[in-house]
Amino acid sequence: MRRFNVTVNGKTYAVEVEEVGGQGGFTVQQVPVQQAPVQQAPVQAPPVQKAPEPTPEEPKTQKAEPVIGEGELMTAPMPGTILDILVTEGQRVSKGDTVIILEAMKMENEIAAAADGVVSKIYTSKSATVNAGDPLLTIN
Amino acid sequence: MDKLAELREKSDQARAGGGQKAIDKQHESGKLTARERILKLLDQGSFVEIDAFVEHRCTNFGMEKKKTPGDGVVSGYGTIDGRLVYIFAQDFTVMGGSLGEMHAAKIVKTQQMALKVGAPLIGINDSGGARIQEGVDALSGYGKIFYNNTIASGVIPQISVILGPCAGGAVYSPAITDFVFMVKNISKMFITGPNVIETVTGEKVSAEELGGAMTHNRVSGVAHFIDDTEEECIERIKKLLSFLPQNNLEMTPPLPVEDDINRTDESLNIIIPDKPNKAYDMKDIIYSLADKGEFLEYQPYYAQNIITGFMRLNGRSIGVVASQPKVLAGCLDINASDKAARFIRTCDAFNIPLLSLMDVPGFLPGTNQEYGGIIRHGAKMLYAFSEATVPKVTVITRKAYGGSYIAMCNKELGADMVFAWPSSEIAVMGPDGAANIIFKKEIEEALDKNAKRKEKIEEYRDTVANPYTAAARGYVDAVIEPSETRKRIISSFDMLTGKREQRPQKKHGNIPL
Repeated sequence: MRRFNVTVNGKTYAVEVEEVGGQGGFTVQQVPVQQAPVQQAPVQAPPVQKAPEPTPEEPKTQKAEPVIGEGELMTAPMPGTILDILVTEGQRVSKGDTVIILEAMKMENEIAAAADGVVSKIYTSKSATVNAGDPLLTIN
Repeated sequence: MDKLAELREKSDQARAGGGQKAIDKQHESGKLTARERILKLLDQGSFVEIDAFVEHRCTNFGMEKKKTPGDGVVSGYGTIDGRLVYIFAQDFTVMGGSLGEMHAAKIVKTQQMALKVGAPLIGINDSGGARIQEGVDALSGYGKIFYNNTIASGVIPQISVILGPCAGGAVYSPAITDFVFMVKNISKMFITGPNVIETVTGEKVSAEELGGAMTHNRVSGVAHFIDDTEEECIERIKKLLSFLPQNNLEMTPPLPVEDDINRTDESLNIIIPDKPNKAYDMKDIIYSLADKGEFLEYQPYYAQNIITGFMRLNGRSIGVVASQPKVLAGCLDINASDKAARFIRTCDAFNIPLLSLMDVPGFLPGTNQEYGGIIRHGAKMLYAFSEATVPKVTVITRKAYGGSYIAMCNKELGADMVFAWPSSEIAVMGPDGAANIIFKKEIEEALDKNAKRKEKIEEYRDTVANPYTAAARGYVDAVIEPSETRKRIISSFDMLTGKREQRPQKKHGNIPL
């Protein structure tokens, strides 16, 4: 169980994060701090596996390259539209393989795998709009 | 004879640095000693030491009993490829290379001689920081070094090599100089170390992660070059010096040309993909244009959406600024602007002509860019290119849109020659966006909106997004066949050799920082 202070719109929430399996999933439990109303919490307590929200928040405070568990989280380098996802969850990839095509700045940008491994989770879908820093997928 | 014996003994003592034990320790940690580094870098037998007998004169905390041969820094001059350079190397075996009054005085003397004579200065940093026993005298020393770095800036090339720790205030000397070299696992630079950071903010971070070579080459942009070993780093310094003149009043000596100046490359005619939204590697074009395909990249890991570096054309040193469509679509952002602007000013200061290779879709949109001050940072590129009086040649390979087209050095910023490939799209914005605005009404009123939109996008592309509209107005000097680019730009730079451009007299400009 690890505790994080997450600040959203100027309000600070104390959040406990527990790693439950090898898949990089989290249970997020919210613990109210004084003067932090629970009902307004944007970081809700979603069930396991579906917690892409806190993931980009958490590692940033620690490292330049976000790493969750043993996995490598890949994020969108710039705002754009997902034109194609070339891999599926569970697929083995090598560093440098094109995994996603992101259309941005009048260009089809090939997003290459940041590491060797297995795609453990895809957070985005075809024709979704992403912002810079949004999670795309995790490679374990 | 006694006098001679005394001299020899004293010389031997000075050369021994901190003693065999300390030297062994330095070797064990995978590092060379200060003297070994100098001897490897300079031409054989060329090193002449100055101030070998300098010692500290501190009397605090029992320091009067402590000997510091050379006071922890080896300094002097020598040659690299037969050209004079001044050099100092901090000696970690003497009190951890810590900087005291006399240590600083030796560095300052070297700086001032280099400036007086007009020859490059190389500083090898390997120091634990200020010598605490000497208190404000050490701080005074740092201040003098920073001041002299600044006075020499733009007059002589200054190269900093980080081969050990360089922490606290000490980092600002390299930061003021023109080029910073780092070596993996050996170099460390930070203002406050991992321990202080953990005490103050609770963040746990290793020294390598915080201030190692890759951090400063990839993340912070503080360093310009990275190598795996000290030996490779030394070779890279020599390579860099070959592209630089001795000072701001000289030109880089040309090398004998070992490549055909009229060489054409048919592969450039097909390098641009048929679809305008497909990427290609701009480095393939750079290698094709350069003499013998040689290119020394500056900051190869930082802001990779723009490529900067040195090549030779017709044997002459040329600075290259190029969009990289393969990374972030080649757009300009805060880091790319900073990197390019600094490089452009480095080249202009040392009379190195500039080649711009343009395929730029625009500035990167996003709140973090706007909040981060992309306006202020992007302005640096415009400023740097406008300010530069060296010969400037621009080649537009494909996209040239909006403000970024200006920022990559178009005709108005002073490009002496602008070439465009037939694949060029020079316009205020891309066909999709522009058609939606210009033909908004027509598209909305059409029965089949998508078909109409497509038709109008094509119409816009045909009428505007090509090189001929700009060429018809003289903004582009010539539309050329890509295969002939090398001979065209070589001819341009030859034609521009005698270029003289005057600027109004001023104290200094006010670049937005």
